[in-house]
Amino acid sequence: MQNILSVEKIEKYYGNKGNITKAIDNISFRVSKGEFLGIMGPSGSGKTTLLNCISTIDNVTTGKIIINNKDITVLKAKALEEFRRDELGFIFQDFNLLDTLSAYENIALALTIQKRDVKEIDHLIKNVAKKLEITEILNKFPFQLSGGQKQRVACARALVTDPSLILADEPTGALDSKSARLLLDSFEKLNKEYQSTILMVTHDSFTASYANRILFIKDGRIFNEIIRGNDTRKEFFNKIIEVVTLLGGDVGNVL
Amino acid sequence: MYSKIAINNVKMSFRDYAIYFLTLTLAVCIFYSFNSIESQNAILELNKNATFMLTLNKLIAGTSIFVSFVLGGLIIYANKFLIKKRKKELGIYMTLGMSKGKISIILLFETFLIGTVSLVAGILLGIIGSQGLSILVANILSVDMDKYKFVISSSAVIKSILYFGIIFLLVMIFNQFTISKYKLIDMLNAAKKNEEVKLKNAFVSVLLFMLSMVLLTIAYTRILKTGLNADNTELLVTITIGFIGTLLFFFSLSNFFVHIVQKSKRIYLKDINIFIIRQINNKINTNFLSMTLICLMLFVTITLLFAAFDLKGTIDRNSAGNRDYDASAFLIVDNKNENTMVNDIEEYLNAINFKFSTNEKHAFYSEYKLNITIEDLLSKYLSMQEQIHLEQNYLGGKISAITISDYNSIIKLNGYDPIELKKNEVLVVSNYSRVNSALPDYMKNENIINIENKAYTIKNQAPIEENIKVTGGNEFFYLVIPDNFSGDLQLEFTSFNVIYDDNNYENSEEKFSNLFNNLFEDKYRDINPALVIGSTKNQIQDKDNGFAALIVFLGLFLGLIFIISSAAIMALQQLSDASDSLERYKSLKKIGVTEKLINKAILRQSLIYFLLPLGLAVIHSIVGISAVNNIFTFHYQSIIVSSSLLLIIYGAYFYATYAGVKNIINNSN
Ligand SMILES: Nc1ncnc2c1ncn2[C@@H]1O[C@H](COP(=O)(O)OP(=O)(O)O)[C@@H](O)[C@H]1O
Ligand SMILES: [Mg+2]
Repeated sequence: MQNILSVEKIEKYYGNKGNITKAIDNISFRVSKGEFLGIMGPSGSGKTTLLNCISTIDNVTTGKIIINNKDITVLKAKALEEFRRDELGFIFQDFNLLDTLSAYENIALALTIQKRDVKEIDHLIKNVAKKLEITEILNKFPFQLSGGQKQRVACARALVTDPSLILADEPTGALDSKSARLLLDSFEKLNKEYQSTILMVTHDSFTASYANRILFIKDGRIFNEIIRGNDTRKEFFNKIIEVVTLLGGDVGNVL
Repeated sequence: MYSKIAINNVKMSFRDYAIYFLTLTLAVCIFYSFNSIESQNAILELNKNATFMLTLNKLIAGTSIFVSFVLGGLIIYANKFLIKKRKKELGIYMTLGMSKGKISIILLFETFLIGTVSLVAGILLGIIGSQGLSILVANILSVDMDKYKFVISSSAVIKSILYFGIIFLLVMIFNQFTISKYKLIDMLNAAKKNEEVKLKNAFVSVLLFMLSMVLLTIAYTRILKTGLNADNTELLVTITIGFIGTLLFFFSLSNFFVHIVQKSKRIYLKDINIFIIRQINNKINTNFLSMTLICLMLFVTITLLFAAFDLKGTIDRNSAGNRDYDASAFLIVDNKNENTMVNDIEEYLNAINFKFSTNEKHAFYSEYKLNITIEDLLSKYLSMQEQIHLEQNYLGGKISAITISDYNSIIKLNGYDPIELKKNEVLVVSNYSRVNSALPDYMKNENIINIENKAYTIKNQAPIEENIKVTGGNEFFYLVIPDNFSGDLQLEFTSFNVIYDDNNYENSEEKFSNLFNNLFEDKYRDINPALVIGSTKNQIQDKDNGFAALIVFLGLFLGLIFIISSAAIMALQQLSDASDSLERYKSLKKIGVTEKLINKAILRQSLIYFLLPLGLAVIHSIVGISAVNNIFTFHYQSIIVSSSLLLIIYGAYFYATYAGVKNIINNSN
């Protein structure tokens, strides 16, 4: 399997002399093409920090992050911006949709900043909207949408550019359980049918149970790793709960 | 303790306060500069003339009151923005148990602090600025600045402190009022408030936009057709149509604009234009009223500055080649009352015992009225509007005449050779070609003037444009007639012109200006009750210059205040909008929009936002000014001076806004 992402011995410190927080403490892992990786851990364990480092929003203190054979820790600011724009898709807990733009325009924006040809934009949007079943709401504005719909629009925006890697930070965090389920079904479909590579951060066991593989982190270190293999989701979920109890975190949602 | 919180607050939110502070300081500076003018020696030097100083002082006092109303409104408006931005912070104070009264005291301190600092800074800046203004005034009044002195006007300082003190007091009262109305829950939720996106029917907005275009076109054609000569109600109707047109324009513009741009996928789907367009749409949508106000303020400013500087140009031009004599006087002949003592100015001067010295070259002459009016003469070549214009400016009526021998005697003073005139010939002496093209057209097409059914040939090809005397009026029309003219002649004035000798210039000037002042004050009534009016070239120039100075002065004063007011409103709106849109920019960054692209977006937004009202105002002004005057007869300088003034101030605010917005957005993480 082709390697999309390699994280090698990264560390991230916050603060200055005498008052240092090690948010990430020597983490390494790899993600292959078409994988759906979950990252779990209690609050404050460094999940967001890890994702920010991978997504080039923040930079590591030491270590290497290689995405698609490019070491992003050595890229210059301008190259980073282009890299982020062309290779990565983001889905955030709080959607980050622009309230002044319609759903259609929000998705289009991801393409126009890539300077895509005007003629293909409409076609690409219609396609991704069909995949995520949001064709009917394309002309609505965010304030007219439910949380779940908003997140699917955000998802469409992340996907429409066909990125090598989709990064999601607590994507279900702001959704009710029904919307969360719908969104996760979409993720599963994207991963299974369209071979999208997804890296999802969550503290919620149910959400995590949709992934193929899960890394557990605590205090900035990898604590455990479990692989779904041929388990049903229910079985996988139970395994997750076990680890979470071991970790001493909250159990979260129950099926 | 509270003063400490207040000082810290001002320090902390300096970025928010910067534009507010800048505006206050500029306002105080301008206010001081103009009020200090009465003690600037440029003015003192020129006008020992008491009435001029009185008019100047009265006008400045009146304008100052008006200006302080405008500024008071502006400051309260700006202050409202600041309070709105800080609602949440104030809310937190309240949850911590601080009473409203105490919060009021903090705000009071803050206003006081900002007020004092900007007042002091403004006056200091004004003291420097007023020296520049003084140089400008000296320039306008053609006064030598060799006696230049650094002046600080204590009365202007006191006045500035008093007026702005009152304004700040009002702001404080207003703040108390606002705070007392706020509810805690609203204050805490202030930041969360969702931008209400008004969805408007595209069809309606297109329709409204068309309507605004139609209204503006109607207003423009109306004003261009009748000029300002239409009667008041007509003019009022035009202004109302123009106002509603402008209002509708800004009301519908953004929706219309979005609609149109969406049609052009090439623009719409380029970079982050989608975002920019929606941002602007939102902003104009909520601010259309203030946009209209700003547009109209800029319109008034541009027109004012243009008119002011142009008037100065006109006066300069008129005094340039116009007066070839050093002084003139005329006696108004009393035709109704036959038994008056004397109608001849020469006898009058003898009676009051006034004598010309030998080096004062002079000539006496008589001015008559012919039995033909200017309208009769030029009727074929005058448009309706020109005819109204002539009448309204007292340029119509019976044509004045002077005999050829009198004419020759006065031009001889300037060393010209006498002109010969046959008994059926006339000369045209007039500068009416400046007023309209009727006279040149007439002289091109016809070479005969009929007076009382008798034809006279016009001897000159083009009118002689040198006036026959020194006078305050700018336009003149004379026919020079043969000595044995047979038609009806009514004696109107008996007059004289003088040219001083260069060696004795000062003495003669003093002698004649004294005479004319005495005449003006009617000192010789007991000797002879006839009405005699005279002026020296210098007197007229001073009067013209003083008048020009007044107009330029008030034009500048109001213009500057209006520009900073409009620019400050735009800037405040932009900055407060930037803070409101912070989340949006953060989202943009997160989805991978480059900083370069974001800066471009900010630049475009600010530019469009600043240029829209200015653009419409410029179009309004071009139309408005052409209604009064042919735009192309304007002087270069007036265009350059007034537009550079406008551009510098407006541009500075634009740049400050752009930098401020960029700073707010790029420094947030
Ligand atoms: N900007 C920052 N400055 C200092 N410490 C930070 C910063 N961001 C996060 N941290 C610290 O790093 C640790 C990991 O935080 P984070 O990655 O946000 O955790 P999670 O997303 O897993 O809840 C926490 O202890 C947090 O306090
Ligand atoms: Mg987090």
